[in-house]
Parts: sequence; C-alpha cells; structure tokens
Amino acid sequence: MGTKFTIQELIVSRAAKELKDREFVVIGQGIAMAAGVLARRTHAPNSVILTEAGLLGIDPFKVPLHIADPTCTRGFTYSCDMIDIFTTVLNQGYVDVTFLGVGQIDRFGNMNSSYLGEPGNYTTRMTGAGGAPEFIGYAGRAILTMSGGTFVEKLDYFTSPGYLEGGDSRYAAGMPEGSGPSVLITTRGVFKFDETSKEMYLAGLHPGVTVDEIRAEVPWDLKIADRLETTPAPTEEEIAILRSFAPDITMGRKLQLEVVMKQVINLLSKGA
Amino acid sequence: MEKYMDADKRMTAAEAIGRFVNDGESFVFANCLYCMPLALTHELIRQGKKNLMAFQQGGIEEIDQLILSKVIDRLVLAYNFRAGGPRIVSPLDRAIKEGQVAVEEMTNHTLLSMMKAGAMGYPFLPVLPGIKVTDVVRRNGFMGNQRFARLPDPFTGKDTLVVKGFNPDFALIHVQRADRAGNGQLWGAMINSKWAALAAKKVILSCEEIVDTEVIMSSPHLTIVPSHKVCAVVECPWGAHPSEVLGHYDYDFPFRVLFVGSAANPDAAKFWLDEWIHKVKDRQEYIRHYVKRFGRDTLEAFRAKPFKSVPADYGSTFSRDWDDQGYSRSMGMTMQEFVAMLDAKGALIDGN
Repeated sequence: MGTKFTIQELIVSRAAKELKDREFVVIGQGIAMAAGVLARRTHAPNSVILTEAGLLGIDPFKVPLHIADPTCTRGFTYSCDMIDIFTTVLNQGYVDVTFLGVGQIDRFGNMNSSYLGEPGNYTTRMTGAGGAPEFIGYAGRAILTMSGGTFVEKLDYFTSPGYLEGGDSRYAAGMPEGSGPSVLITTRGVFKFDETSKEMYLAGLHPGVTVDEIRAEVPWDLKIADRLETTPAPTEEEIAILRSFAPDITMGRKLQLEVVMKQVINLLSKGA
Repeated sequence: MEKYMDADKRMTAAEAIGRFVNDGESFVFANCLYCMPLALTHELIRQGKKNLMAFQQGGIEEIDQLILSKVIDRLVLAYNFRAGGPRIVSPLDRAIKEGQVAVEEMTNHTLLSMMKAGAMGYPFLPVLPGIKVTDVVRRNGFMGNQRFARLPDPFTGKDTLVVKGFNPDFALIHVQRADRAGNGQLWGAMINSKWAALAAKKVILSCEEIVDTEVIMSSPHLTIVPSHKVCAVVECPWGAHPSEVLGHYDYDFPFRVLFVGSAANPDAAKFWLDEWIHKVKDRQEYIRHYVKRFGRDTLEAFRAKPFKSVPADYGSTFSRDWDDQGYSRSMGMTMQEFVAMLDAKGALIDGN
C-alpha cells in the first residue's frame, strides 16, 4: 500500500508525465500549473516554463497564483510582454506544449471556456478565453485536464479549436501540422485522440473507475481502446513535492475556499 | 494625442479621477492580475462614475467590484477569474443576465493586439488566424463588426485575420516608481502594461513611490510609460493591494477570499464595498483600517524581501571632445587654434 492521495494529486501526476525534458511549456493556473512545476521537479528539469504574462524561464518554488505572479520564482531569464509571447515565441514555433483546463469539451477536443447557456440566455460565465485559443491553436501539442467540466455533443460557445470536425479539418483551417490536443485527463480517466479520425477515445481508467461510469458522463457513443491503461498512483516523491509546493492544488478549490475562509474568520476575530 | 508636459503632476487619487475621468468614457486596465491599479479603481467607485466601458485582459476582483457599484456598462474581456467556481453566482453573472452590462468576448492575444495597433496609430493589425473558426470571431457582441476582419495577405493572397486598433479615453496603471512628471517604471510581469498604457489617450498613474528624475535617468529601460502620456501621478503605497508588487509586497490571498465570499451575496457585497471603499477616504485610510481590523503583523507578513536587480551601468566618460587640458581629442588642437583654423579657412561669417 502506497501513500493515500487526492484525486487532484492523481491528475497532476498523470499530466506531468506527458511533459518531456527540454521542452518549452506554457502553463496556465491551477492543476495545469502544478503539473508543469511537478514535471520540472522530477523528470523534466531542463524544461522551460513560460507564462503568457511575459515570464519566461521561471523556476517556481511554489505554484503561482495566476499567470502573472512573479512572486512564485526568484527571478526569471526573460521578461517580455504578452504580445511577445504570442508572436515571437508561440507563432515562431518555440512552444512545444500547452497545458489547459477544460470547461466543456466535444468529441474532437474543441472546447468552451467562455460561458454556459446561449447569447441572451446566459447561465454561467466561465473564465473566458484568455490565451487558450491561440495556445491550443499554435503550440506543438496540448495536454488537457478537466475537473468539474463536462463532455457535450455541442459546445454552448466555441472558444478553443481542437480537431474541429475531425480528420484533417484542423490543418486545413491553417493550424500547424501535428498540433492539437494529445491527451485529456479527467477525474475518472485518460482520453486520447484517434490518429486518423481525430475522435476522442478512452485510453485509460483511474484506479477503481469503471467504463460504465465514464460512459455515463459522455453523451456520444464513446470509443474505447482495446487495452486500457490504469493510471499509476502518484509516487511518494511526487506526493511530497506536490504537498510542499501546492497544498492548495492538492486539496482542490472547493476545500481550499472552505479552509481559507476559516482562516479569514480567524483573522477577523483577531482584529476585532 | 494630447501631450502632458507639466513637470509636477502629483495629486491625490480623488483629484486625478475627479479631473480626468468623465462618465461614459472608455478605459483600459494597464495592469492586470499583477500590480493592479486597485486604489485608482476604488476611486472610480467612490466617485460614482457611470457608464464607463472597460477593456480588461484578465480580471480578478476589480470587475465584480465595478459591476456591483454600477460603474461600467460595457466590458471587453479576455479572462475573468471565477474564484468561487461554477457553483457561485458571481456579480458578473447576475449583471449579464439582468442586462446591466454587455460583454464582448476576446482572447488575450487579440484584445492586446487591438491596444497595440491603437498605440502604434495603425488602423488594424494582423493576429494569429487560428481563431477565425471559433465563436470569439464568429459571434459579435455590442461592438458588432468593429473587432475582427479577414483580409487577403497583400503579398501572398492568403487569408489573414486582423483586429481593429483602439484608443481608450484613459488607462489606469500602478507601477513601482515614477518621477513627478510621470515617467513610470514597472518590472515583474509586463503582460499588457506597455501597449495598454500607450494605446490610451491619457494615463492616470499611481506608484508605490515617487523618485527623483535622476533615478529614472539612470534606469530608462524600466520606464514603461513616458511622462508625456501621463496626466496625473498619485503616490500611493499599497496601491495594488491585495495584488502583488515585486520589491514591495506579495498578494494577500485571505483578503481576496473575504471579497469573493462576500461578492456571492448582494447584501454581504454591499457591506464589503462600504467597509473597504466608501467608508475610507483613500488608500491610506484603507491600510489604516486594515491594520486595525487584522493587525499590523498580518499586513507586514506580505512585505517583500529584497532581491536586487544588478544595476545596469549607464556610465560613459561623460566628456565632450575637449579633454581636461582643453585639447580636442579628435583634432589635437585647442579652442583658440580651432577658431583660428575656421577663420583661416574662410568658414566664419562676419554678421556686421
């Protein structure tokens, strides 16, 4: 029996394995950020982490609060602006990998992170596009993570291009050959994309999860790989790194709000 | 563009917002996420500004604060944190549903490219065309077709995507230091600051400290907004709290959670705005109130430890062609010999 872990730790550890050493990786916030940092602390020490806020070559000693948080690192190697990142770095092909979180996703890996509902009948605003559309459009590949998001037949809003209508449609629309989402890691399993049709299929299950549980979440007839991998549990080392680096990611956002709220109430009663 | 040439533009945040902001104008946050101009933003709220149109790359709490206070009615937005997750109905959610605010969805790259084009005085600028297949381009909001257009590349004929240049009426920016004229120096995350500030017709600047122009002269590479763009300079320590400013302070996460927790409920939100904006006169009083409420130690825990940039040396010999003995380095003669030479060559004109 290994150390017990949280679902966030499992996702982060699995996502981190997708990053290779010496790659340029753009990271967003949350789980994605933690995965990039974990990879750099374990098997990819020479990877270069950058954020769209113009921080290149950061060496985070904690998970940054957001993409423009320079307090996560003791300096960095290149300070530029957001236009520089999207043009001179991304558009020139230097970015190997982008990590992205998912709100809604369809069978070809197209994503919605803007809002739920219809125009004129909004229900919930998600974060908005941010840098996701261009990063998934132009990075070498995209590693997607989803916790709290949903699989849908049709996106409420089409924010970020996956494989469009499948097949070669993404590349016909002008995005770099070979680019696109390579893997999606959810709270239940691991999904990949068929080489020819570009349709998403189930490639692996997290420990204790069944195919039926996954099928219940996916509104289309999901294809299943002949051999399903079982997601390896995070190692002792990974768990130790994550808990020291990113206790907030380890516990997840819901628990984090609860815990920090308690701290705020303590502070309030201290001052009064 | 108007040129702001006063040598001393120091004033209070109240004066700056009072003098330079009119209802109905458009403005851009020239810092987002990092080093946010929150003292200035709170002044917009305190003065009850109305019907403003905001450009924001990445919002944390300021958008909800402006919405709750009914300051903005149009919002051009690339990203806005959902601190409470999808379970919480945010003020922005409520305002969109009730029609209090219209939102135009952009991406970070394309929104900032609109500012960069505006800053350069260009009518439009090419952007990465991949998003032409997405709803960001296909669905228009209140700006209608005044965002994107597709044009053939004049050299190759290939289909390209361009964005329109914009010049907001004003920008709000917070920086580490500036001189009295407003040469503003920022370091850390540069994000949108340069292009947003330069796109605006004028910049309202607050800073952690005012420094002598000599300091600026020795480190011009740090100047992100030049004084001729700046109409007001507000010295304002802790002016970005609860966001972070390198060399000064880290972000204050518990304080942010206090707002997020309050924002979900209209009564609690009103209580928060009263306590932290309306019942304090300015940022100084806000900090005094913070210290009273949470203790000096709580605030001081966020204070940055130094990690100094190795200074760039802007030195030279600081000498003209004439050396200490009065000889020209390039001609090997004295001033007297030089004038005699000019005369001998017939180069001197007798004006009498």
